[in-house]
Amino acid sequence: MSGARAIVEALEREKVEYIFGMPGGANLPFYDALWDSKIKHVLCRHEQVSAHVADAYGRVSGKAGVCSATSGPGATNLVTGVATAFADSSPMVAITGQVSKAMTGRNAFQETDVIGVLTPVTKYTIQPLSAAEIPAAVKKSFFIAQTGRPGPVLLDIPKDVQQEEVEITFPESVQIRGYRPSVAVDSRDVERAAEMLVKAQRPILFGGGGIRIAGASEPFTALAQLLMAPVITTLQGKGTFPEDNPLSVGPIGMHGRAEANKIVSECDLLLAVGVRFSDRSTGNFHEFAPEAKIIHIDADPTEFNKNKMVDLSILGDANEVLMMLFEAVARRAAKKTDDNAWLKHLEEVRETMKGIPAYRDSYSELSGPKIVKAMREVLPPESILTTGVGRHQMWAEIHYRVLRPRTWITSTGLGTMGFGLPAAVGAKFARPDVPVVDLDGDGSFVMTEQALATAVEHNLPVVSVILNDRSLGMVEQWQRLMYNRRYIGIRFQNIPDFVKLAEAYGVEGRTVGSLAEFRKNLKEGISGDSPMVIEVPVSHEEDVFPFMPPGKSIKDTVYGTTKESAIF
Amino acid sequence: MRSNKVLSVLVENKPGALFRVVHIVRLMRLNIEGLTLGVTNGGEECRMTITVSGDEAAVEHVARQLMKVIDVLEAHTYGPEEMDSRELALVKINTDRVSLAEVQRNHSARIVDSSAHSAVVEVVGSAQQIDDFVSGLGSANVLDIARTGVAALPKEVQR
Ligand SMILES: Cc1ncc(C[n+]2csc(CCOP(=O)(O)OP(=O)(O)O)c2C)c(N)n1
Repeated sequence: MSGARAIVEALEREKVEYIFGMPGGANLPFYDALWDSKIKHVLCRHEQVSAHVADAYGRVSGKAGVCSATSGPGATNLVTGVATAFADSSPMVAITGQVSKAMTGRNAFQETDVIGVLTPVTKYTIQPLSAAEIPAAVKKSFFIAQTGRPGPVLLDIPKDVQQEEVEITFPESVQIRGYRPSVAVDSRDVERAAEMLVKAQRPILFGGGGIRIAGASEPFTALAQLLMAPVITTLQGKGTFPEDNPLSVGPIGMHGRAEANKIVSECDLLLAVGVRFSDRSTGNFHEFAPEAKIIHIDADPTEFNKNKMVDLSILGDANEVLMMLFEAVARRAAKKTDDNAWLKHLEEVRETMKGIPAYRDSYSELSGPKIVKAMREVLPPESILTTGVGRHQMWAEIHYRVLRPRTWITSTGLGTMGFGLPAAVGAKFARPDVPVVDLDGDGSFVMTEQALATAVEHNLPVVSVILNDRSLGMVEQWQRLMYNRRYIGIRFQNIPDFVKLAEAYGVEGRTVGSLAEFRKNLKEGISGDSPMVIEVPVSHEEDVFPFMPPGKSIKDTVYGTTKESAIF
Repeated sequence: MRSNKVLSVLVENKPGALFRVVHIVRLMRLNIEGLTLGVTNGGEECRMTITVSGDEAAVEHVARQLMKVIDVLEAHTYGPEEMDSRELALVKINTDRVSLAEVQRNHSARIVDSSAHSAVVEVVGSAQQIDDFVSGLGSANVLDIARTGVAALPKEVQR
């Protein structure tokens, strides 16, 4: 059997359904072998798109998405997508062709040291040097990508290795000495955590992307109900706890909910699950949750005390730890009621915050917050929303309530513009049964607009909602608030025409002039059977608030542009 | 606080393992001042001892991050009192200016090779002992030095 055939068979054994990619000289033997396979190849028009599609497929399905590229420029085009997946712990296997072994190090045509380039942004890299090594290499790639704290794995395969004909055997399992993804949970830690939780007067549960990854929303929700504790999340953790539950206070952080940022400063116990205390969530590390004892549950021990010192850390799979913790708490205390001082205080905070300028209806008919809220009204609970990066994403963070896990797909760790549309395509491949919408900015959208071609070719009814402010809005806001309105490098001319752009791809494109029109078009978009682009013209001057300036703490939050915002 | 610790890293003996380790050290902007490595445990593993200069917190961060690198089996930091360490240096001496007999009388140096105007001597000891040996000779008398960097093992079997 050829090495190329071995790759394909190994992928089939991993139950891979789709490969997102583009062929070229160095991976042609692999593509030729794919011709005979049931695995479907999805052509993407840029390797960055391939990687984002695979990433989102992985985030939604929980199984590693697979992308493939040729050597040299194909491989380097993957970098942003792979780095995005790495930053958000998304399972992915990236397969690149490489020049033949004999050509290595000779600056051969399209030779790039992709292992050198990608090592810092992958969980692991593997380069089989003979066809016989391929089955184990593929198996290891998936095992590493999908277990523990997931992440992208690069499989770089020289062309001669793809062409080599040898006897091939497929291992049932693989051993990796330096890799122990699962550990036994220390039950003493769990008991101590339970003790701390039942004693706490003002407990808060804090959920991150790790809950989605571990599939731990159920025990997390159950524990919150048992303790009747308010729940906050990171931006990545949105939806791991249903945001329509009365205990949900929303995401904290630079553009978090005002109530969430306020209440986390007052809690006496913070149970943090699958979070990494990123600066965008906590602001100044020292001033974050100053009165709280902190318990941190994570699958990655290097996260403990990395940014924020904690009082108790519990290593393990979030699902397992939370189930044990639920038991341990239930043994000690009866279910709490909502008749307690802490929840009453939360209500007061909510009431006060209702008045902040950011939560009052904005002046224009078509504004980011209104659009985002209208989307929630139109979209069924199981719909998936993906985003680009910028103000539109932050408006969704604040105003779009995510109701189910794995229905909120956004790039937070890297904050990659251009993620939204390819992510919607990947999400639709993973969940063809639910509506998928990309909320995007005009700047972000054009970075990977060619993903429309893939959406068209595969009849994917993904809807792109583009908040068109003719500006790099988020950056404009920073220049306005922190650089004294010295605007540079942010304004767009009135290009492209998004309706014509959509039409050029054979996609239905519409511009809306009112909220009612927006709702109507969005409804049509999600019930259609082909892609749609909805352009919403918005003002470039409407800033997103609340805003905790970088490096500052919650007390420095700006709630709006007007003077009255200072009172909160 | 500046670190006086060394990193002791046990990796799987395979291509690229050193690259992955060095990448993390570089990420934290630590300067590598000594690096020894050698294959051990029947050829399956490779032990690296890395002497770095930099902030102590950064060194500890590197050790923790290294545990996450898949080819790394163990990563620890050791302070001077926690480890037994040795370094070897080859020192080329200008024998027109110093007598070899004197060098040998005063130090535990061994002559490796000698020619008309110079000789190469070998000294083994702690990094400090080697520093002392070299400065004792006087810089004008030393033509060249090659040091291996510190190799270290913890005093306790396991920590
Ligand atoms: C690839 C990339 N380049 C640059 C940035 C920096 N950046 C962050 S937000 C932003 C503006 C985004 O503009 P747009 O997509 O139009 O969204 P808006 O803020 O207007 O909603 C920029 C340039 C980034 N996050 N990603």
